[in-house]
Amino acid sequence: MHFYKFVSSMTTGLVLLALIGLASAVGSSLWPDNFFQAWPFRLLLLFLFINMALCTINTSTRFFRHRAKISKNWKILFRSAGLLMLHAGIVLILIGAGLYSYLGHSVQLSILEGDTVEINKVIPVDNSFSLKLHTFSIEFNADGSPSQYYSEMEVLEAGKTALAKTVSVNHPLVYKGVKAYQSSYGYLTDVVVQDGDAAPKTVLAQDGDFIQFADTSRTVKVFKYIPHFDPEIGLETKSMEPVNPRVVYSVYEGTELLGVGAAPFGEPISIDENVSIEFKQVRPYTVLTVKTDPGLPLVTTGGLLLMLGVCMVLFGPSSRKKEVSSVHDN
Amino acid sequence: MTTEHLMIDIVLVLYAAAAAGYFISGGQRWLGKVSFWLASIGLAANLIALVNRVSLSGRLPLSNGYEFLLSFTFITVLMYLLYEILSENKKAGGVVMLMGTLLITAIIVLMPQQIGETTPLMPALKSPWLTVHVITAIIAYSAFTLAAGLAIIQLRNAISTDDSAIYKIVSAGFAMLSLSIVLGAIWAEQVWGSYWTWDPKETWALVTWIIYAIYLHLHRQRGWRGNNARILVIIGFLLVLFTFFGVNYLLPGLHSYA
Repeated sequence: MHFYKFVSSMTTGLVLLALIGLASAVGSSLWPDNFFQAWPFRLLLLFLFINMALCTINTSTRFFRHRAKISKNWKILFRSAGLLMLHAGIVLILIGAGLYSYLGHSVQLSILEGDTVEINKVIPVDNSFSLKLHTFSIEFNADGSPSQYYSEMEVLEAGKTALAKTVSVNHPLVYKGVKAYQSSYGYLTDVVVQDGDAAPKTVLAQDGDFIQFADTSRTVKVFKYIPHFDPEIGLETKSMEPVNPRVVYSVYEGTELLGVGAAPFGEPISIDENVSIEFKQVRPYTVLTVKTDPGLPLVTTGGLLLMLGVCMVLFGPSSRKKEVSSVHDN
Repeated sequence: MTTEHLMIDIVLVLYAAAAAGYFISGGQRWLGKVSFWLASIGLAANLIALVNRVSLSGRLPLSNGYEFLLSFTFITVLMYLLYEILSENKKAGGVVMLMGTLLITAIIVLMPQQIGETTPLMPALKSPWLTVHVITAIIAYSAFTLAAGLAIIQLRNAISTDDSAIYKIVSAGFAMLSLSIVLGAIWAEQVWGSYWTWDPKETWALVTWIIYAIYLHLHRQRGWRGNNARILVIIGFLLVLFTFFGVNYLLPGLHSYA
């Protein structure tokens, strides 16, 4: 009984809160990358959960037992209910967050324009479906800064359209427990390679890729796609708008750098005798954060309870008398 | 010098004059009254600066460090003047107006490039959640600033005066901070796909929240009064300042908008 009292007491809860606060402040400064995922911190959260869950259960039992007695003073009842709700809300949030950390998944998924990805190849789901990216586009402000990113997506089930949705920042796609968020984007470059007498072939190059040839020992590095090239600025793009699209590339003989250029699209570049390349076009891809979180309904409910409880206590009628059924044991 | 620069300088001068007046007034009633009016005219100038900002940017002044500080200072001074009228107590005037002066100074020193400039919102900020998340944060920060001002005065006077006003103001601030954190989490889930990422701003807001939660529990349940409780309120305010300035300037993360 002593042990139970200790575990469920408010003092223990406050000590745990203080430890969590201290650990967050110190831990995030010393180990910014992984402190909060490490087991000592998780253990603290687990202890806090146990403490608050017991505390909240005790108080609700008391609350409902004594409700009849104190119901005459509805002000006290209202405030106590608010305190109870905000504590219960925190407990629900801790449960939901725990569910996510053990059963939830979140991955970054790149899809090239026109491509389709089977969802259970990237994230485990019960009812799989496919995601197709039709187009990716960026909308710009007058000053050239990006105003919004759009991925025109289609959800396919058994080859049929189940949902068509444009995903943008702040507007995720939600389908059968899976959420997909606009996270990032990039470009691949179609490069037409003329290698000796062979027929020209097209390769899809990512920034940083090397192209090798059969007819020459030289190699080409596709360094970077620059949508708004300005020789004054060099390798950084002036804006994200395709005002003067170029591909910066470099040519090597072994490890020796022979030259660097910023080529426009559609112009052949001679690499060696009989060998040339041409940057044909860029193809955008979108990067989505794809997530499943079985704890989200609990966390959302907890958050709403917390907010409602806080408002009841703050904006509710105030009573000079101390609540009979306080959330805490005394 | 733009109109905005001028307005901010006027607010700064009025707040500084009010702070000086409160400090030197001692028991002199007329000087206290003059300080009150200086602070009130400063508040009106602050409001005009905010309205001007709204007409310049076409949206509420909540989306960068400069706008946040301008609104934060406005609400803080407004709360203080209401407190002064209701409590008929001018003792905290000097400290609170000095805080207001320093916050306006921070705009001029730390973010001069934002004054007189408007830039379009980045895609992540284009959300109705921005308004409620930031407004609740501003009210919370203002309440904590006022509470800290009162705590400093009571601590300095070293007499066991009634601290129920501090408790009430911290309660209101705590409720608003709770709302701000939860609303921010709901928004983060919508925009980043994760309601909590231990981003520095989130971490330090949580640390601040914890300090005040401990204060409220100790005050109400354990009868914590006196200087220890006041020191806790002041530590909480230092954490508020770190959550705003420290995180924005030393620990950039997802909240780097300043």
